[in-house]
Amino acid sequence: MVLPALLIFLAFGVIPLLGALGLSFTTWDGIGAIHPSGLTSWRATLTDPGLPHALYVTFLIMALSWAFQTPMSLLLGVFLAGRQRYRAVLAVVYFVPLLLSSAAIAITYKALLDPNFGLSAGLGVGFLAQDWLGRGRLAVGVVIFIVSWQYIPFHSLIYQAGVRQIPVSMYEAAQLDGAGRVRQFFSITLPQLKYTIITSSTLMVVGSLTFFDLIWVLTAGGPADATRVLAVQMYIKGFQGNQMGPASAIAVILVFVGLGLALLLRRLGGDARESQTEGA
Amino acid sequence: MTTSRRTFLKFAVGVPLTGAALAACGSSGPSSAGSGGGSTGSGASYWYLSGPPGEKIRTDTVNRFNSANPNTKIKGTTFQNDAYKTKIKTAIGAGQSPTIIWGWGGGGLRSYVQANQVEDLTSWFGQNAAVKNRLFPSSFGAATVDGKIYAMPAETVQPIVLYYNKKLFDQIGAQPPQTYGDILDLVPKFNAKGIAPFSLGGQSRWTNMMWLEFFYLRLGGSELFQRVMTEKGAWSDPVSLKGLQMTQDLVKANGFVKGFSSITADSNADQALLYRGKAAMMLHGSWSYGIQVSNGGKFVPDGDLGWMNFPSVDGGTGDPADTVGNPGQYLSISSKATAAEKETAKNFFKTAVLSPEENKEWIDTGQVPISTGTESQLNASKDKDFLNFVYGIASKAKNFGQSWDQALDPTAAETLLDNISKLFQLSISPQQFADNMNKVIGQ
Amino acid sequence: MATTLTPDTDQAGEAPGRSHSGRSQSPRHWNWPGGLAGWIWLGIVIIPIYWIIITSFKTSANYFSANPLKPPTDLTFENYKLVIQEHFIRYFFNSLVVTLGAVVPAVLVSFMAAYAIVRGRGRFLWSTNALFLAGLAIPLQATIIPIYLIIIRLKLYDSLLAIILPSIAFAIPLSVLVLTNFIRDVPNELFESMRVDGASEWGTLWHLAFPLSRPALVTVTIYNGLIIWNGFLLPLVLTQSPERRTLPLALSAFQGQYTVNVPAVLASVVLTTLPILVLYVVGRRQLLSGLTAGFGK
Repeated sequence: MVLPALLIFLAFGVIPLLGALGLSFTTWDGIGAIHPSGLTSWRATLTDPGLPHALYVTFLIMALSWAFQTPMSLLLGVFLAGRQRYRAVLAVVYFVPLLLSSAAIAITYKALLDPNFGLSAGLGVGFLAQDWLGRGRLAVGVVIFIVSWQYIPFHSLIYQAGVRQIPVSMYEAAQLDGAGRVRQFFSITLPQLKYTIITSSTLMVVGSLTFFDLIWVLTAGGPADATRVLAVQMYIKGFQGNQMGPASAIAVILVFVGLGLALLLRRLGGDARESQTEGA
Repeated sequence: MTTSRRTFLKFAVGVPLTGAALAACGSSGPSSAGSGGGSTGSGASYWYLSGPPGEKIRTDTVNRFNSANPNTKIKGTTFQNDAYKTKIKTAIGAGQSPTIIWGWGGGGLRSYVQANQVEDLTSWFGQNAAVKNRLFPSSFGAATVDGKIYAMPAETVQPIVLYYNKKLFDQIGAQPPQTYGDILDLVPKFNAKGIAPFSLGGQSRWTNMMWLEFFYLRLGGSELFQRVMTEKGAWSDPVSLKGLQMTQDLVKANGFVKGFSSITADSNADQALLYRGKAAMMLHGSWSYGIQVSNGGKFVPDGDLGWMNFPSVDGGTGDPADTVGNPGQYLSISSKATAAEKETAKNFFKTAVLSPEENKEWIDTGQVPISTGTESQLNASKDKDFLNFVYGIASKAKNFGQSWDQALDPTAAETLLDNISKLFQLSISPQQFADNMNKVIGQ
Repeated sequence: MATTLTPDTDQAGEAPGRSHSGRSQSPRHWNWPGGLAGWIWLGIVIIPIYWIIITSFKTSANYFSANPLKPPTDLTFENYKLVIQEHFIRYFFNSLVVTLGAVVPAVLVSFMAAYAIVRGRGRFLWSTNALFLAGLAIPLQATIIPIYLIIIRLKLYDSLLAIILPSIAFAIPLSVLVLTNFIRDVPNELFESMRVDGASEWGTLWHLAFPLSRPALVTVTIYNGLIIWNGFLLPLVLTQSPERRTLPLALSAFQGQYTVNVPAVLASVVLTTLPILVLYVVGRRQLLSGLTAGFGK
């Protein structure tokens, strides 16, 4: 039963990846002959100060976008779980960003963030005329914001579904005990959503490793290298700089980072399930 | 449910394919080379850029060739600029190049040559002197690697031009700058009126590079301009450091529009600043003229757009007539193509590329084709002032430098753009810039 | 046989939006932080969308000349005409074929694999699962040249199948992860009782696990569907002729060498998004009830 998935994954996922692994031990400009060169590419990659920086930016964007998206999605999910009709309409509007391609979103935000012709001019609010994509920290913030803009709807949808599953009786009991709304949220809603939170976090964290299109079109990793995450660093090395060897080494590192994170989150998921079984 | 060891082995044999795949990445390539471009028998395939106005002109040229040569047709495929860069590299890397490769010449072409991916056209040009003579001599520099010609220069010449908004100069009662010193005097005057002295699409990086290129060209001449691309340590030459310092001085003096690092050139926002009267001057490629005509409303027709070559820099040794930009675009023939495909491609170069019909189409879009003897056509155009200016620069410049990012090999070009971006951010000093560049140049 | 996991999920499949008494947190209590965030977020979401729509009706000459947030005074349908002329219908159809052709098999094989991983044991399955986990972070860009070579050797270059096959492969890891997490939650007693009734593993897979996993299946279907629908690199590298182009490639048709025709790009964005938005509005209840059916635990 596992075979169909395994075979197709081997053919179009693993074999190409082994190709990349193989290339990480060569020197290749992506155009001409491939020369085996042992650990040269790895040495170059691991001593390149660009690597720790790219790792740092990757984890920074991953952590901050998780930290921003999770409470927001939770809040919106709980809100949308309410029964009023207009909330359903809101949910439809929220969903639109998810349907747009990252390239389209990047083009849109580039235009809106233009200090001269963008939002600041449109709303007449001078404060909005910042050098959004020209200052490192601001650009990181912008990336996190846009990622959230794109994905919060999806995660609030998951939370909305989760909240609707919480048995009403639990809230009724809590109300009888005199617990307020805030107490109810922290003692019922949040623990009951644990599994949902883990699924949603997995999607966010692992998904963030593959952010490429958005950042590439929005900032191309800039200003300078402020938003240069691993995937962008790899693309710049390989496809801009014609160094397929080091680019492949970065790809392998990316896979290991992903594996580590996935295993970590699985462990968290496993713990959650155990506690549930105990509770049941 | 559990899978036996035997089934596991069954797909484990799939793995050796990787070795084959890797081997095929090499220059040996599959025998069906050219099929990536769509093999068309004795015809040829041709990949080129999409988007107005060039796409239509390139397609028209292909169509004209095909109707004249029904047995050896060329199959054209278009790609958007950034998409093309990825696509062509993947295809050539996998040994699946199209017959005719559209390119920018310079360092990119050199990397193809070093990988034996493109045909040496030197002797062909020797036999077809007429073809060579109808093109600007300056366009051949970027097509030449180690003394041999590997590409057919094509399309238009694109020097970098200093544009200015005449109305804004009238408004502050100033004259267009004669020297760089005049520019420095103009900066505070425009700033005092709330007008940005220079527009700049700084996010695109190559836009910033144009400034550096002119500083080097005017300060140290074309000799320094070329030297920094090949000679180790040339970036820390005192004149080089002075050019880097001037760049940062101009940034610090608020020479560029506020928030320039957030402005992109591809959305034309930088050009809009000029024609909408928010910035007084702009350094940009000659193609910008056509964009300002089509998007600027009455700006160009009313004669409000002014232009000049970059002025001389006080104390510099460079010739103020020299310029920099794209001396042309380039068409190469894949060395992996069949003899018949190559023959078709050469026939295309000879009879279709920059034919009188194609020349006219380029001129109609406000660009100057790299063909010689087009003066009368240029004079008949509604854009004749600008076209004659560009033609004059291109034909009078003793040195037409190819933009560094195109001329350098891709690895060094990436490092350069990266450091230029940091230089304009003021996050590195001129000395650090020079040190970073010395690591990749002239190894 | 129960299609529910625990007693409280009885009302799982019901349509949302219907007025319902005892169930939700009572509307009498106004959830003010949620409400505030909800309305603020509405503004944040709507401004860019509004901008996309109005700008798609502007001429490229007027794009920079007026307030970016004011509706165009010279409403033009030129951009839409341009997009439709660029064979929009064909690209749309290709995107549809690729998305359906990749998502359906991807979800089905991932589901089978997830079931096998959860129910079976042994080194082989463990390693397979670890392999899938590692696959979560395979960067497509790094593997694109080997993929290109494989596709050429299979003689699939410039076909829609060439996009579909790697898309399936890249959808599998995340789908397996989400689905295994979910199937693990199905109480073992349910599987045991099926076995006692004499059902085969195959029957248990489709008759018990599949309906139970609906919410997770819905999640991975949407997630993969959106990623594949908007995929750019695979269609770019693996196809060539205009007849095989998908919508994201068409989007780049309005980006020239030095310039982007922003209004035309946006018109194409609107046209690309509209059909899936309609699909979402129509299928929203289904979708939500699918998600609702089990994400609470």
